[in-house]
Amino acid sequence: MADAQVYEVFARKDHTEALKHVGSVNAADDDLAKAYAWTMYDEENWVEMCVVPRGAFIPITHDGALPLWGN
Amino acid sequence: MSEKQRDPIAQALIDRINDGFMVASEEDMTPGYKGALLTPRTVQGDTELMSAPAYYLAARDAPTIDSRIAVTAIVHDELGHANIAYRIMEDLGVDKRHLVYGRQPHEFKHPYGFDQPLENWAEMVVANGFFDRAGITLLGDVHEHTSYGPLKRALVKVDREEILHLRHGESWMKRLAKAGGEAGEALQRAVDWMFVMTLEWFGLPDDLKRHGGQLDYRLKGKTNDQLRQTWMAATVPLCEGIGIDVPAHWDADNEEYVIDCTFPCRYDPGEKRWLHDEPLTWEQVFERWKKRGPMNERYVEMVQGNGGLFGGRQWQA
Repeated sequence: MADAQVYEVFARKDHTEALKHVGSVNAADDDLAKAYAWTMYDEENWVEMCVVPRGAFIPITHDGALPLWGN
Repeated sequence: MSEKQRDPIAQALIDRINDGFMVASEEDMTPGYKGALLTPRTVQGDTELMSAPAYYLAARDAPTIDSRIAVTAIVHDELGHANIAYRIMEDLGVDKRHLVYGRQPHEFKHPYGFDQPLENWAEMVVANGFFDRAGITLLGDVHEHTSYGPLKRALVKVDREEILHLRHGESWMKRLAKAGGEAGEALQRAVDWMFVMTLEWFGLPDDLKRHGGQLDYRLKGKTNDQLRQTWMAATVPLCEGIGIDVPAHWDADNEEYVIDCTFPCRYDPGEKRWLHDEPLTWEQVFERWKKRGPMNERYVEMVQGNGGLFGGRQWQA
């Protein structure tokens, strides 16, 4: 089984609000990350949801170190 | 620990937190802070995780398909909440897979209440009304006060969903009380063991509690006794309002809820009965918790799988 990595989950409730970080999942690939995020973070009727592999973030603050998203 | 004895680095962090600083990375933490943050997260995650098999089994007694769907949706939420607590820990170097699959049943740190069988619909809805109320009391306080940014953000979803679980439980408690007869009697029997079970959940009274780092580091805001009072302030009027007896009342002179039975005392898990003539010390309560209760192994096995081809259980290897 491929090693799972952390994907950060972002979503917004309506088109007037900013996309916000709502959580994270451990998944072996992008498709599973989509499925896990969609089923786990179902507390709202999101109009938009997306996942990003943590390694794809390019931090600008914190001296270039990845922040602790943590959730 | 008095301020004189405290390590100056720890004191500097406490001072920053008191000035409104939110901790956002491991570099910001002292070892004391990290420990005070992580230990309660194990309890948090394990409590959410063990509620899932307990509720799953109880859902079999749901009176309608809609109510059964509601409970299985709650099971889904609880597993998600456990994952959130363990993800917080994972980002601080703890192995999430070990937490879920690598521990033996007695190594889980949930309250004794989730070692008990929920054997009928009345017990299921009182679990939602009492146990989930305890969860929201504890986690709502953490959400409001915590100095750890990732935890504060993570608890938005948890609090929101726990309030729905609570409403489900309280609505059904009112319905069963109104129905009366066998339903009302089953509700009273459930409350009789589950009310005191939840009082224990909040742990040592303040006069016996060793001073921990959680309040200093603002990882929570209220003491154990204050949280127990908050829980009773919601549950005692609820029960009184629907004609259900509870062993506690409001003392207007002292402006606090008072427990009317021997507390803590011995519990007979087979009979689901508190033995009020056999008082215990809190040390004896912790011994009982450590030995775990009747459903501990079954619930952990339900979570960890049966060791089949894809089962995640690791500790049997």
